[in-house]
Amino acid sequence: RPPLSIFLLLPPCLGNREHNNRIMGFLSLFIVNKSGGLIHHRPLGPNAPQIGTNEWLTIGSTFHSLHAIAAEASPLRLPGNKNPYGADDGIEEIHAGGLVLQCFQTRTGVKFVVTAEPGTPDMEYVLKEIYVLYTDCALKDPFYELEMPIRCELFTQAVDNLIERVEKNGPPRR
Amino acid sequence: MSKSTAAANGHSLWQKMPKANAELFALTYGTLVTELVRDYESTEDINEQLEKMGYSIGVRCVDEFLAKADQAGMVIPPCRAFAETAEVMAKTGFRMFLGVSAEVQMISDSSFSLLIYENPLSLFVELPSDPKWKDLKYSNLYCGILRGSLEQVNLRVECTFVKDVLQGDDVNEIRVDLKEVLVDGAGEEYQEE
Repeated sequence: RPPLSIFLLLPPCLGNREHNNRIMGFLSLFIVNKSGGLIHHRPLGPNAPQIGTNEWLTIGSTFHSLHAIAAEASPLRLPGNKNPYGADDGIEEIHAGGLVLQCFQTRTGVKFVVTAEPGTPDMEYVLKEIYVLYTDCALKDPFYELEMPIRCELFTQAVDNLIERVEKNGPPRR
Repeated sequence: MSKSTAAANGHSLWQKMPKANAELFALTYGTLVTELVRDYESTEDINEQLEKMGYSIGVRCVDEFLAKADQAGMVIPPCRAFAETAEVMAKTGFRMFLGVSAEVQMISDSSFSLLIYENPLSLFVELPSDPKWKDLKYSNLYCGILRGSLEQVNLRVECTFVKDVLQGDDVNEIRVDLKEVLVDGAGEEYQEE
């Protein structure tokens, strides 16, 4: 079954950066918890839009609701609204004129969402790596409470390093 | 997922995990239990505290398990029956985090027993023969871990230690009963009437 994608017509943004002949441009990361609350947001590149904290919170909860509604509105309904991976079905990708948004829903209900300029490769790889970083840096932090905003220096540093590494070299070839 | 795939996955994930000194681990846990013994009067309370600690560990473990399995390219398909859940936990989960696998004995469709032959937590441990320690569940942390991790994937279970090597039995046995399959909240509000 093709991924649940939405194509929107939005004005294209200006120019794509190129680096080593790869079209770059991660924009932002945001993470939504099981109940729809935003627990993390971070700009991932220089073209990332400036979005205020309150706006981020709205984006987080709106996305959470839309994700659920999409599964209900989809012409192809899956049993229990669960996709074959085992996670809740919902929006996986949004393609717009100047933006690509990709969402990774974990089986524990956390959503990792990354936005990037169209043509940016390795978004799925980055999402999966961020999940691993979340488990290693945020979950293992004894002061981090589940479902609360992530304020772990180790996590933010690791995400920045990941993006830098992917932009320079791409994902490791298996 | 077949038993052998679960075991192979477990072994492979175990290889990738950073390791800690087994003795340090066992001794640290021992100190923790000793502290609890000092702080609490009854063995009931100690068991409860261990379970609660295990719960906070468990809720965090399952994401790590799923994320790292994904990263390693393993497919852990959604379990179609509670028996599959049991196998994955025993062969892959336990192996990944503790280096030892457990055996599963299904009791019914919604409950199973986990048999642990080698317990890394009870290395060097001997319980005093005083009858008041008869009810102490030294490794009750495991029960909490199982309960916490399954709750994150929407299965509400109850876990209890039924046999303990430290109490004289030949194997450690944890009984896991499925109480309820939880339904996520998000979709409900938007469902058609």
